[in-house]
Amino acid sequence: MAKQGRILGIGPTDNTSDQRTPRQPLRLIPDIARASFVPVVPARYATNPHEWDMTRTAPDRPRADGVPIEVTGRVRSASGRPVAGALLEVWSANHYGRYRHVEDHSGLQLDDNHLGMGRVLTDGEGRYRFWAISPGAYLARPDIGRWRPKHIHMSISGGSSRLITQMYFPGEPNNASDPMAILMGDAFERNIGRLRDPQTAGVEEAYDFDIVVGGRSATFFE
Amino acid sequence: MTDPASNLLPATNEDTCGPYFPIYFADPALEDLTRFPPGVVGAAEGTRIILRGRVLDRHGELANGAVLEFWQANAKGVYRTPATQGDAGIDPWFDGYGRLRTASGAYEFRTILPGAAPGRAPNITITIFSDGISRIVTQVFFDGQAGNDADPVLQSVGNDAPKLIARHDGRTASGAEVYVFDVVMAGPGETPFFDDLES
Repeated sequence: MAKQGRILGIGPTDNTSDQRTPRQPLRLIPDIARASFVPVVPARYATNPHEWDMTRTAPDRPRADGVPIEVTGRVRSASGRPVAGALLEVWSANHYGRYRHVEDHSGLQLDDNHLGMGRVLTDGEGRYRFWAISPGAYLARPDIGRWRPKHIHMSISGGSSRLITQMYFPGEPNNASDPMAILMGDAFERNIGRLRDPQTAGVEEAYDFDIVVGGRSATFFE
Repeated sequence: MTDPASNLLPATNEDTCGPYFPIYFADPALEDLTRFPPGVVGAAEGTRIILRGRVLDRHGELANGAVLEFWQANAKGVYRTPATQGDAGIDPWFDGYGRLRTASGAYEFRTILPGAAPGRAPNITITIFSDGISRIVTQVFFDGQAGNDADPVLQSVGNDAPKLIARHDGRTASGAEVYVFDVVMAGPGETPFFDDLES
């Protein structure tokens, strides 16, 4: 069978997905042009040293409401190579399900001790660590009663590795009805953090979330 | 899609960036590749351009909150990658990677006109993240460039080639040539997007 470009799935019960998902099959890239489709993100990232702890807005500020958690993991390419020195941009809602974003008009409760945005770098083995407040689930579609399950957004940029994804939480009742999770099917399991012993007094829960950046990252490094 | 004989690790699923990609993460140096920090001597070589336009949805409405990433060769047609490290054609003051988030769906990216890489017409790869979708990718070309007729990507999309060509606006703004390029995410006039997982 001749190779064909994918047809992208449309998230069920997701209006924006219906409005924004291309309908035509994706086009195959001619071989000679393939490398030009692999951006290399330059390693000059703006980060602040305290941003790894998103349970407070600054080291000298009080803890935000909710359950403080630690998230750790390794970022690797599909062949297992660590993605070292990569930037992880992390954002999530507060305990009440509200983002500190000027376009979040949900009216849910803000928390003056919660920013919900931070940046960390992976070490030489591709490992990362941050603290966050376990985010609240929120009603994304009041008209049909659809909730977004608890999730943490992560954007990974490191050389030719680029991925925007979300970490979900195990055993959450709203996981099964999430439109993007439905599109992922059985592979949704890969996007769920693994509960582990915290091993530190600083947080109440801890999760491992190993990330594998697939696809186009292979071109230059392997 | 997954080759059962492959020993590759299963990739983490891409997911939507949602409507709230933090404006907080914006970096002015990534929105204007000709910009230099105050007090620092230096400049990217090449013709300054402004690439501006709209990201539109299936109904022709502006796609608010979209994140656009740009990737291009320098004025000599050389991409800055691990493969070109030490290449004489590298511009030390030009990385070729940009990023911006558009609140409204209208965007403006300042850069230099890319040179032609071997066998190619000048182009910029555009990656789009937004609520409702995962990453989608295309390439934009520039009206009137000699290599357009022979470019393999433009040829590969056949009659859709004009949808990938930015129109010269016929004017300059603050010394930069203005090009206009609308991205149509879905529906009538849909921009051709490319598959960098299956290709």
